[in-house]
Amino acid sequence: MTALTRKTLREYRRALIGWTVGLCAFLGMYISIFASMKDDPETLSAQAIAKYPGPLKDLMGGMADIATGAGFLQTIAYQLLGPMLFIMCASIVGNRAIAGPEESGVLELTVTLPIDRKRLVLDRWLALALGVLAVAVVTFAVVVTAASAAGMGVPFGRILAAHTGLFLVVMFFGTLAVCVGAASGRKQIALAVVGVWAVAGYVIETLGKTVDAIAWLRWLSPFHYYLDGRPLYQGWPVGDYLVLLGATAVLLMTAVLAFDRRDVGV
Amino acid sequence: MTAVVETEGLTKFYGSRRGLEDLTFAIQPGEVFGYLGPNGAGKTTTIRLLLDLIRPTSGRATVLGADTRDTAVRARIGYLPGELALEGKERAHTYLNFLADVRGGVSRGRIDELAERLDADLSITMGELSKGNKQKVGLIQAFMHDPELLILDEPTSGLDPLVQQEFLAMVREVRTSGRTVLMSSHVLAEVEHVADRVGIVRSGRLVAVEDVAALRERAVRHVELQFDAPVPKEAFDGLPGVRDLGVEGASLRCTIDGRPDALIKAAAKFTVVHLVSAEPDLEEIFLTYYSEEEAPHDRADA
Repeated sequence: MTALTRKTLREYRRALIGWTVGLCAFLGMYISIFASMKDDPETLSAQAIAKYPGPLKDLMGGMADIATGAGFLQTIAYQLLGPMLFIMCASIVGNRAIAGPEESGVLELTVTLPIDRKRLVLDRWLALALGVLAVAVVTFAVVVTAASAAGMGVPFGRILAAHTGLFLVVMFFGTLAVCVGAASGRKQIALAVVGVWAVAGYVIETLGKTVDAIAWLRWLSPFHYYLDGRPLYQGWPVGDYLVLLGATAVLLMTAVLAFDRRDVGV
Repeated sequence: MTAVVETEGLTKFYGSRRGLEDLTFAIQPGEVFGYLGPNGAGKTTTIRLLLDLIRPTSGRATVLGADTRDTAVRARIGYLPGELALEGKERAHTYLNFLADVRGGVSRGRIDELAERLDADLSITMGELSKGNKQKVGLIQAFMHDPELLILDEPTSGLDPLVQQEFLAMVREVRTSGRTVLMSSHVLAEVEHVADRVGIVRSGRLVAVEDVAALRERAVRHVELQFDAPVPKEAFDGLPGVRDLGVEGASLRCTIDGRPDALIKAAAKFTVVHLVSAEPDLEEIFLTYYSEEEAPHDRADA
């Protein structure tokens, strides 16, 4: 690990710890609710489903099987709120790779160090990847522990598959933030692109299943490759995950090339 | 002898706004070069081009014999940004150690030695550094690896006078050891005591490069003389280099371009009680150069 990656990790540390605590609290609390739902799945799941109108149910991933362990875990942790919170974390931290320090002026000295510009982007992205990985590992441990404590009966391997997908889709958006920031040098633009692509991508993926007019757009949504394989039910969707990995690699390459070409701090 | 900094037709436009146009100059080894100009004249643009933070629209520049795009050469440069930004919860000392790690060539104890010299407190977190302390941290990181070339953008801003003196001593030591300094300022007084040559930049163009001694000679000075008795105005009329002459009883005021010799000799015929010669005002030197630059343009436009 280079000195710059270590230094970048030190910069991210506080934010990453904060997000880890928040995500763990969220996951732990919501998963533990399952223990009470399990007592009377018929009534309680009917009540839960009745609260949501049809399209909203689609947005929440269907919710039909919310009384089962896998269904509950999918809806609570892996469908909407879990990924969105984690993506927010990665894009905020990813924004601090280039755009944040460039706007504040801190990047100025870093760029004049004897570090190649391409290397600089890679080093700072690597710190993001390692940080997000650490958050993913800790939250994974919390999900596994909480799920088994609540008696969900979802196999360890399935949770691992789903959590890996979560990590990949989060890294896609984190890298997107790095990429737009590296190309534009503007935090707001990076956050806007991530926000729009994440929300629109999610809506298209979930509603696109029933609305034919936008079905073809689903392949543009990172969530398609994260949700469509249903890893919690069916195990590893290897092909889908490779697409996410490949897309992330393309974004990273774009970030490196864009930053290498442009004026910094203008 | 190869120049340490060499530019040829270096030009930078931000969109259609001119940042710097057609800059051709060279800085020789062992030289302290003062780069002067008002804010927004192109000083920082030049410096940021030399450090490859921004890329020229046209022209080229070499630093220490290498193209500015050469990453490795930057380990041999010390750079102090004009607006140094430091933030975060990291202690200043930790940050300096990081910079030293990446650049290499920082001997043990060097950081503490410089901190002591500049009276800087490095145990404070960067976000809480005062403006003066920030500038000290900036100077330490620029000097600590004993670079062959120092590029300092407005180095004395925010420093108290004692630290300024220490800083100027450090610059002189760099020159004594045969290394090179490029420092920018908008005040001649800040650089005239250490600089060998100064370049004056105005509206994106280098309008003059002068020896400091020669520049002082060309400087405009306001002079005030008090005599023990009223003096006749005619005695001072038409003296070479004397302008804006005003005589009121026993006092005389005028402006001098260049040497005060003729005025002194004329005044010697009377009894001088009091003489005040204001420090040459850089702004007026600018105006002198500026009017010389602009006058032909005006004619061309007409």
